[in-house]
Amino acid sequence: MLKICTVFFGDLYTPDYVGKLFNSIRRNSSIPFQSVCISDDPNVEADIVLPYNHHSDVVKHWHKLKFFSPNFAGQQPGDEIIIMDIDQVITNNVDDLIGHPVQDNELVTYGVWWESLLDTNGGFYKFKSGSLKFVWDEFIKNPDFWQNYYYTRGFVHFRYYGEQNYVSDKIIKHNTVIVKTPSEWMGRYNNDYLENIELNIIYCNKFDTDYMILDEVNENVKAVHFTGPGKTIHEHTAPWIEDHWK
Amino acid sequence: MRIICCLFGNKFNQWHVDNLKHMIDTYSGIEYDSFEVVTEDLYGNWYNKLQMFDKFRDGENLYFDLDIVISGKLPNLVRKEFTLLNDTWWREEAHTPLNSTIVSWTGDVSHIWDKFKADDTYYLEKYAKGSDEFYYREIEYQTYDPVCPKIDMAKQDIDYNVCTLGQMHHIMEKGWSGWWTPYFLSL
Repeated sequence: MLKICTVFFGDLYTPDYVGKLFNSIRRNSSIPFQSVCISDDPNVEADIVLPYNHHSDVVKHWHKLKFFSPNFAGQQPGDEIIIMDIDQVITNNVDDLIGHPVQDNELVTYGVWWESLLDTNGGFYKFKSGSLKFVWDEFIKNPDFWQNYYYTRGFVHFRYYGEQNYVSDKIIKHNTVIVKTPSEWMGRYNNDYLENIELNIIYCNKFDTDYMILDEVNENVKAVHFTGPGKTIHEHTAPWIEDHWK
Repeated sequence: MRIICCLFGNKFNQWHVDNLKHMIDTYSGIEYDSFEVVTEDLYGNWYNKLQMFDKFRDGENLYFDLDIVISGKLPNLVRKEFTLLNDTWWREEAHTPLNSTIVSWTGDVSHIWDKFKADDTYYLEKYAKGSDEFYYREIEYQTYDPVCPKIDMAKQDIDYNVCTLGQMHHIMEKGWSGWWTPYFLSL
């Protein structure tokens, strides 16, 4: 079985992000999957909703790492696990994305066309259930240490950020094969009008096309990620978002 | 004989107490007269456990942490002298070799509480990593033979029927499953 797993917490986003993500994947795919979300919000819509556990040692995005354990969320041997951030809009068919083949000791992750210091992108991880269990096992030995590690050393600028850095570091340490999806599948968008123009120009130059996102979304873009702290989808009124985010 | 556990703070709740009682009653084979829960949160940490030496000054006493798995019949764990676990057969000693996941004594060992309480601010600072170091440095104790490993050893060479979760207490949360699941009370 394919499980697509998410985490929803806090008040930056609204609980409908979860249902809209899963609904849009189902609209744009023929591949059956089970939707899973870690959240305490009763308005979250997913096949399985598991408690966020506010009193545990694990905080914020770090709950995503639980899905690397084969003992979590009813995983069975042979299952394929996808972990996705909820701050993205699915804009075209994603069969090639969620159905991307994956082997043991391999991580499929978004290839991106913008500059990134990391080898993996936390917006999308796909792996065989249990094959990368070291990601969770090594984290839970000392969650407080890891949850502060990247902030105290200046790699990230917000306390408790750094989950992407941690996954990237562990994946490299364990010689896991990183498979990146074609970077033209990714769109990037945010709240800044001028920055969006610049992003369009970069995309067009890189992929020899006329636009990334104007009134419509380029047909090669499968998912648009609203990247960066504080950048939300629900505060936008662009027609393309209304068309795809529902 | 008296079974004792402690419940305070927000990491554990009544389910954990009920779960411990369920495992003892269903799998351990232990017969007891009363099941006691210490709930007074005086210190906001595991030094609260020391209250049991003040509260229970007679008879046979057997204490369990809440984050354990009991999966079968247990050997007799009741001891006359103050006895707790020594973990060094499965981990390095660190700041203490001791582990108070399981503790037993018979009669009155309230001197442990009295010593701590008389200078609690000092001991809380001196042994800030936990009460097990206080026992190690300040109290006379006996230790069990190897009986309670950590959970990832529990089903290996010897089929131990009790194990501590240690850093893996998250597996008691909803959503986690494994060999231990059938022994837990349904969430």
